[in-house]
Amino acid sequence: MTLKTGRARGAEGRLLPAWWLAFALASSTGFAQTDPGVRGGAINGQTGATPTSPLPLNSVTSNTPAGVQEFFQDGLDRFQEVEAVSGSAHNGLGPRFNLDSCAGCHAQPTIGGSSLPTNPQFTVISRHVVNGSTNTIPSFITANGPTREARFPFVFNSNGTVNTSVPNGGVEDLFTVGGRPDAGVCALQQPGFAAAQQANNIIFRIPTPLFGAGLLENLDDSTLLSNHANQVGNGLGISGTFNHNGNDGTIARFGWKAQNKSLAIFAGEAYNVEMGITNELFPQERPLPQEDNSGGLPNSCLNLGGGGYPEDATNFAVQNPSGDTFAQNAQIPSDTMQFSMFMRLLAPPIPSTTSPGGATAVQSGQNLFGQIGCGICHIPTLGMTQASNMTGSLGGAPVNAYSDLEIHHMGTALNDNVSQGNAGGDQFRTAPLWGLGQRVFFLHDGRTSNLLVAIQAHASNGSEATQVEQNFALLTPTQQQQVLDFLRSL
Amino acid sequence: MWSPATPVSILLGLVASLAIAAPAPAPVAKLPTDVIIVKGAWSSASDSTMPLPEAGTVTPESYDNRYFGLSLPLPDGWVQKYAGPPPSDSGYYVLAQLSPTETSPGASRGTVLISAQDLFFTPIRASSPLELVNYTRAHLRTDYQIEKPPADVMVGGRKFVRFEYLSPAAGLHWWILATQIRCHVVEFVFTSANTRVLEMLERDLDSMKGSQSDDDAPVCIKDYANTTNVVERVDPLFTEPRYNPVPVRIIIDREGKVKHIHFLSAFPTQAQAITEAVSQWRFKPYVRNGRPMEVETGILFGRGQRAGL
Repeated sequence: MTLKTGRARGAEGRLLPAWWLAFALASSTGFAQTDPGVRGGAINGQTGATPTSPLPLNSVTSNTPAGVQEFFQDGLDRFQEVEAVSGSAHNGLGPRFNLDSCAGCHAQPTIGGSSLPTNPQFTVISRHVVNGSTNTIPSFITANGPTREARFPFVFNSNGTVNTSVPNGGVEDLFTVGGRPDAGVCALQQPGFAAAQQANNIIFRIPTPLFGAGLLENLDDSTLLSNHANQVGNGLGISGTFNHNGNDGTIARFGWKAQNKSLAIFAGEAYNVEMGITNELFPQERPLPQEDNSGGLPNSCLNLGGGGYPEDATNFAVQNPSGDTFAQNAQIPSDTMQFSMFMRLLAPPIPSTTSPGGATAVQSGQNLFGQIGCGICHIPTLGMTQASNMTGSLGGAPVNAYSDLEIHHMGTALNDNVSQGNAGGDQFRTAPLWGLGQRVFFLHDGRTSNLLVAIQAHASNGSEATQVEQNFALLTPTQQQQVLDFLRSL
Repeated sequence: MWSPATPVSILLGLVASLAIAAPAPAPVAKLPTDVIIVKGAWSSASDSTMPLPEAGTVTPESYDNRYFGLSLPLPDGWVQKYAGPPPSDSGYYVLAQLSPTETSPGASRGTVLISAQDLFFTPIRASSPLELVNYTRAHLRTDYQIEKPPADVMVGGRKFVRFEYLSPAAGLHWWILATQIRCHVVEFVFTSANTRVLEMLERDLDSMKGSQSDDDAPVCIKDYANTTNVVERVDPLFTEPRYNPVPVRIIIDREGKVKHIHFLSAFPTQAQAITEAVSQWRFKPYVRNGRPMEVETGILFGRGQRAGL
């Protein structure tokens, strides 16, 4: 823009004061700062954690009550199991699936996390998880892109057009078991991903991190409601509301739209939807959303494991009677219940006070994060958990999750036109930011690895976060860098 | 307490559902981006003629709102880049979000947020601008610096509550000016690192025009729909529990019939059920100084947070 000499006049002929011109050059477009990238150092900020050994809560490490540590270890082992269709110790995979183990998707920075920087879905054919004659890798699965599931927001008409009167939104599993040596004669088509991409009728979701999930599960509803009341009068355009479990009306809290009530339901749904393994919570094989219209799954693709339903069930007998009693006890619950136990007992990530950028940058960034309003939704501490009947570290514990667990309108930039429970297409749970520093991909579809892009996506038509994002844009470059450093310290 | 719908109310229900339900869209070859088609609970109204709080408009010159009867002149080059979210289920509106364009002459950095809190549905004990702004102050982070505590001021001949605070870390000032219009606290929130920008914005507020005469607007009365005033009542028939609060604003005519129903936040089936029922309610006419008056009031259906929580 050009500086004018003399007194300038506005559009209505009003005289603009001279000082006004001084700011003609002051506006800046875009951001100059850089996302420091995945924070190095201790995994989850926890001494002793490795890429395959996440740490449990403290009382689990000290095995209080006796046996809780064995149950955690057993849950961690099962979480890493590679499932097969038949003929192995872990059957039931498919007939449709997104990957063959929980730990394959939930792996960054350690097991229980989110998507790795290299995508195991990209190599399923070369690793013989999927037969290359019957399956192709969809184009939205790339070598260094996020691990993803896909959904079609609306049903397709028979002529390939999109019927925007009929929402769909269910998971369209990427791969089929067809052609695997252990899959018998089951032959299925993959969903029409290419056509869906052409029609722009496809959205993606990446895995949610699970660290600290037990703490989120053990928060009383009244704590969440009290936080909600504190948000009234925030003066930043933020409102928010809760998603509710349809069965008992209590506040739901897991998943990108806070649609799931408990970790058990979360685990059961994932086991069946993402891996095709039926269980005591979801006992029937799941056809694709529109497969029901054509008769559901063919018989040749049912009970492929040969053991009947549900494919994952409680074990009445201990299979491996060696080792201590508690380790044997832990073999009895189903996989699903042990997955949920594993998630429940995972320790939350510990933030760094010094990295990246140094202690001053991290502390300044933390102050800025709060003072520009990010902390209204991304509440640093939700409150204390209710008393626990399971293990001490779950009871009376602070939950430093940086989320209010509410669903908020996030506008057209983040809308995915998929409703879940009371959450409409543009409503998402405030993503907990604990552990953000060591995550690779951001937002519900993993569209970016750059925190700045994720921040910018908070502002769009219909978003509650536009004012706060504009406050971020009003900061100086140094201040913005401090906020980024702080976020990567989490 | 359910009574069979009368022919008139069936008609009202049909009209209402036509107004609420959008016409079925044609099949599309390519889904548009940037359009929210699948919505959760959203705002809607029984008719398209009565002005709605959320239906203000932004022009290059001003922000205008027929419901609140105000027209705020805008600084040159200030635009609404993004519209706000729909009304919340606790009665909070984002009416406008304004900031200078990058290329506007003499651009300076700052934002204006115009919001409204419906006092019928506030889930806290606040029944005036001062009480709401005091609540904001009481819940502010302790590391903000209060520059001017909440106090009454006159701006443009209208009574406001003014509250100013500063973020020392960010160097940003917030000037909040809150006024009461039709049982809403309408807030003008000015944000900038530069107090001269804030002074300019306040000068524009000083020349804000109001266009509502007291004779035109209905009398707003909180919780008017109580057992004393409701002479005939039909309960809505909900098909499924959703556990969300459904705040509903109604206008009652001089004879005690419901002439306008506005849903701040409702699922379509909830809006239909409530419209069918509430259209049949009959109120005692509200009389002031011997004159029957129209009344505006709010009813909270569904499960909601009540004040005092």
